[in-house]
Amino acid sequence: MSDLLLDVCQVSKTFTRGGLLSGQRIAAVKDVSLQLDAARPEIFAIVGESGSGKTTLSRMILNIEIPTSGKLLFDGVDLATLRTGADRLAFMHKVQPIFQNPFDSFNPLKRLDRYLFMTHRRFIASDGRITPEMAVDEALHKVGLSLKEVSHRYPHELSGGQLQRVAIARALLANPKLIVADEPVSMIDASLRISIVNLFKTLRDDLGISIIYVTHDLATAYYVSDRIMIMQKGSVVESGDARTVLNAPQHPYSRQLREAALLPDVAAGL
Amino acid sequence: MTQAETMPGELPDDAQPILSVRDLQAHFRTDRFGVKRDVKAVDGVSFAVRRGEIYGLAGESSSGKTTLVRTIAGAVKPPLDVVGGRVDFAFLPGYGGLRRAPAAEVARIRWRHLSYIMQGSMNVLNPVRRLRSAFVDFAYPHIGESRKQFEQDVVAHLARLKLDPSVLAAYPHELSGGMRQRATIALATICRPDVILADEPTTALDVVVQKEVLAMISGIRREIGSSVVLVSHDLGVHAQVTDRLGIMYAGRLIEEAATVEIFRNPLHPYTRHLISSLPRIGDDVPRKGLEGAPPNLADPPPGCRFHPRCPLAMEICRHKVPATLETAPGHRIACFAVNRSEAA
Repeated sequence: MSDLLLDVCQVSKTFTRGGLLSGQRIAAVKDVSLQLDAARPEIFAIVGESGSGKTTLSRMILNIEIPTSGKLLFDGVDLATLRTGADRLAFMHKVQPIFQNPFDSFNPLKRLDRYLFMTHRRFIASDGRITPEMAVDEALHKVGLSLKEVSHRYPHELSGGQLQRVAIARALLANPKLIVADEPVSMIDASLRISIVNLFKTLRDDLGISIIYVTHDLATAYYVSDRIMIMQKGSVVESGDARTVLNAPQHPYSRQLREAALLPDVAAGL
Repeated sequence: MTQAETMPGELPDDAQPILSVRDLQAHFRTDRFGVKRDVKAVDGVSFAVRRGEIYGLAGESSSGKTTLVRTIAGAVKPPLDVVGGRVDFAFLPGYGGLRRAPAAEVARIRWRHLSYIMQGSMNVLNPVRRLRSAFVDFAYPHIGESRKQFEQDVVAHLARLKLDPSVLAAYPHELSGGMRQRATIALATICRPDVILADEPTTALDVVVQKEVLAMISGIRREIGSSVVLVSHDLGVHAQVTDRLGIMYAGRLIEEAATVEIFRNPLHPYTRHLISSLPRIGDDVPRKGLEGAPPNLADPPPGCRFHPRCPLAMEICRHKVPATLETAPGHRIACFAVNRSEAA
């Protein structure tokens, strides 16, 4: 239908704070545009400090937040036209989120496999040939786990890294075209972080899933992403090929971020 | 003091350390409904901090960093219990830790000699009191001078840390996270303590602010000569400010050396993995993740706690705990694969 998987067209989001008369308007996202190509899956990093609007932007892409102005088209369909539950479900089928803290994304009183089977029931029409167990097991295998390890376990029984993998497996069950990952590794231990980041690369290369990777960590953004967009106070200050932007940042704010990133090179640090 | 000589890793020309921790064991003990759990959060950690140095403690979550710092600060409450070992401060000789010292002594040294910047400490300020009151509450009783003089000292101290004196009139919610964190650091350093324990002081901050706060911590060390114990899971932070670095894994200190040495020549397989897996800007080499997960401390694997994930694991690692030995001057490692002679 369209060559563009995702077309974000000059979107802005303004929040109002305070009372009716003394209200203060805060522009969280100002006039941001970005396009993802349908034919070429990629990892697109959105980088910025807190308050730069990167989470608001990702929530608008997930259709959780409605833009004040501008248009978001996913696969040629305007997100503002999604009115019915069926439309929304079809959208969620193609776009799946992964959130920052895996311990917050799962109810501690529910067993993990229940989430996976619920997602399966919701999105996949059972065709008799593939049982839910097989589908869930397959999704877990894609992230390096198996149903045997996860079934009958509660969230606290798994480490943060494993739990984040389960969250990714849950997102994969819907067979999405786009995954929006909001700070997916910032709560994960250092020894497990890189394996999650490597997993994103595998998803892109083997399953053809595009990933929007929202982060404040320039080093992992450099490591994993193809294109990058640097945001400051709601506006895009610089965007382009990740290698080019991070090796030679042009905008003063990008340069400031690049310098502030603590590199593990002692000589540079002292 | 005599224990200085018996401290492992002590250089002979070293002056007496300001803080020395010997074989400290702190466990979380619970006994609920007849189920006894004993989580060995800190299990036999020894290290010494010299005067005027920034000593870093790194490790992933649940490796016992925070428990170690809490035990040093004497903030021990059930279910946390100190099972063994001692903590000696140069300014509090003879008790083997704040826990055993009389309350009057503890009150004397707290804040004056030892201050503690807690995790998430930008949220410790009382939301309904102005910062000026926080300074009075925390520091005034320890300084013992007139209120007017105290006020002047506070303003001078803030100026030294490049903070505007107007923050004193502000409520915590009126300041940004970075400002609040800097105000808490100012609060922790107003009495010019000998030792500052800083637990993840920059974790919740943005990269740009983080750099400023770290510069402030090194500035404090330079200006007032305090020793700092800096806990962070972020090796970039350690590369930036610390002089020596201890790496913790599952409640034990597995490697300790000068920070430069750790980054240039890590020896323990876990440290080697940590350093090599750090992504760097301008470096496209693919990184490998480490298999497995950190152990459950209620039921840790026997022997070396890293052996189930270790690429160099040998038979001896499965049943014997490696001792922490000094392989090179100032470089201590607990690993049989590195300290071959011990394994033989």
